[in-house]
Amino acid sequence: MEGRVGNGNSARAQQSVEQATLVYMLVGFAVFLLMGVLGLLMRLQHAGWIDLGPRWFYRIMTLHGSGMVAGVLLASLGGVARVIAPRIGLSPRLLWTAFVVYFLGSGLVILATLVGGFAAGWTTTYPLPVRGDWPMSATWGFLLGYTLVAVAFLLWCLAVLVGALRTFGGFGNALAWPVLFGRKTERPVPTGPELAATVVAIDGIIAVGAGVVYLVPIFAEMLGLVSGFDVLFAKNMLFLFGHTLVNLNIYLAVALVYATLGAYTGRTFKMGFPVALAVNLVLILVLLPYFHHLYQDFVQPWPLHLIGQFGSYAVGVPAFFVTIIGSLGLLYGSRVRWSAPVIFILAGLWGWVVGGFAAILDGTIAINNVMHNTLWVPAHFHSYYLFGAAGFTWAYLFHTLGGVEGWVTSPAARWLGWLYAIGAGGFVLAFFLSGLQSVPRRYAEHSAAWQVLGQVAVPFVLLLGIAFLGLLILGLRAVPAAWRAPAPAPGSND
Amino acid sequence: MQVGVGVVFFIFVVLWTGALWWIATRAALTAPYERVSAVVSRLRRWGALIVVVVLGAAFILSLPFLPYPTSRAARLGSPQVTVEVTGRMWAWELSQKTIPRGQTVEFVVRALDVNHGFGIYAPDGRIVTQVQAMPGYTNRLLYRFDEPGTYTIRCLEFCATGHHLMVAEFTVE
Repeated sequence: MEGRVGNGNSARAQQSVEQATLVYMLVGFAVFLLMGVLGLLMRLQHAGWIDLGPRWFYRIMTLHGSGMVAGVLLASLGGVARVIAPRIGLSPRLLWTAFVVYFLGSGLVILATLVGGFAAGWTTTYPLPVRGDWPMSATWGFLLGYTLVAVAFLLWCLAVLVGALRTFGGFGNALAWPVLFGRKTERPVPTGPELAATVVAIDGIIAVGAGVVYLVPIFAEMLGLVSGFDVLFAKNMLFLFGHTLVNLNIYLAVALVYATLGAYTGRTFKMGFPVALAVNLVLILVLLPYFHHLYQDFVQPWPLHLIGQFGSYAVGVPAFFVTIIGSLGLLYGSRVRWSAPVIFILAGLWGWVVGGFAAILDGTIAINNVMHNTLWVPAHFHSYYLFGAAGFTWAYLFHTLGGVEGWVTSPAARWLGWLYAIGAGGFVLAFFLSGLQSVPRRYAEHSAAWQVLGQVAVPFVLLLGIAFLGLLILGLRAVPAAWRAPAPAPGSND
Repeated sequence: MQVGVGVVFFIFVVLWTGALWWIATRAALTAPYERVSAVVSRLRRWGALIVVVVLGAAFILSLPFLPYPTSRAARLGSPQVTVEVTGRMWAWELSQKTIPRGQTVEFVVRALDVNHGFGIYAPDGRIVTQVQAMPGYTNRLLYRFDEPGTYTIRCLEFCATGHHLMVAEFTVE
């Protein structure tokens, strides 16, 4: 008879979970690298060194944005599933099914952009998807692709939520309310990653709901059932879906910081009142900042604008004082084992806070009026995403592939880690300076005055590429062993 | 505005980079975690309080500078000139191309097909204000131009292949 682990999965099923999550992370990493190449092409175009032409530039821009979100999200979903599966229990069949659905959806998005010519940007702001200068079949492909990706994400959310409710016994316990309100419970208390995953699952379901409300009328219009619908309502639903989804990615990645950093510092994140309070606040606050995407829609009722400013200010506070200050506390005086994962996490803390501060500035309505849709915006979210959501996820991936004693602590891995930090830092700072210069985002052609900072950015992007290529070569050799072996024990997820 | 934002931002980046560098140089040393935890707790308590107060003050102080018509009218006075603006793929149409200096102007902004962004660039190349142009809605943007010269309108909401070509000009004199 097969042995069973804590969640009731057989040992074979648990190994399948670990293999599935490894595939999520590796495929996500591969997509990230390919989308990074597209990003390099865009910066070369902005530098004036190549000429893609506007049609190809906007196709590439659309695929770069949607692919990056899909790739990093897939990897972080896999990483978190790997961390929480031993206690929460996740069906390997469901994880593999979600992966196939996700993969099919991503394939449709790639076909729709590269073959079909769809180029409405990753946000696909209505009514552009149905009014653009590309065939309607491309719009069908792209939006069906998004739908499949959303379905796969929904499957993940439902699996995590059901598992958390079963393990901890109800919403209150799954959200660590006994810790929050000082109540005793006989049920187990969620760890940091488990709590973060539960919050992502709840908000993820809300975000997907908004996505459905956004997409269904567009499909109805394409089928000729309706002639159109309200653009302001559509925009609200679009950004409640898109902004929230991207924001939730950082909280998945935070769960991976919890699961990685302790292994190299010998210290643990404790589930206590501050963590429970912060993550429960995030549950609500993460739904509010999306309104800042609509500040320049003056017809939106002004109280919603103010909610957007409040949410943009407030959402970062719990994360900063719990995760970021807590992580620095784990590092300080810990005789840390410097390694690629630790460097990625340190760089991630830098970029997350820099991107967050830039977001607070841009989340101020008065400032947004001169910064909105300049390169300040991609500067902010590249800091937040490249360093934070992606960087934390790759830290966990490298940890999974290397372990505390593995290749990740080699001098080569550490140098490549610092190279990544320098490359990413220079790249985003050039973006910020372009934003201050009022350079518009999403422009296929830049004037000579705007090209200078694009030219400054390119060498930093190349450094980034060299760092990831090196880490890929080092990490690939460890994949067969990771495929066969059980996951390393998360060092700090209690 | 952009200069002030840039100064505040880069001061913050330097301070934050320095703080992380300081932590990194001490990560390889030995410090009892109990002592570190006590400092972390104090930082969380007092730091969060200070940040909430600072952000609260910033929120309140920013309110008089909202770009919306009522707020701008209170600062600049009622509009003396009205300019009708229509955006479509990929051109802007303005009811007049010359705007008097020092008078409050109301731009009445509409779109015929998809969302566009009505962004006004000053002669020195910086954005001075913007508003969305949305199908089915009319947005009203108030502004007073104190500097004469040629101002450029650029589309700031992505609208497909000709987005970057959606440019127009007007003169302030």
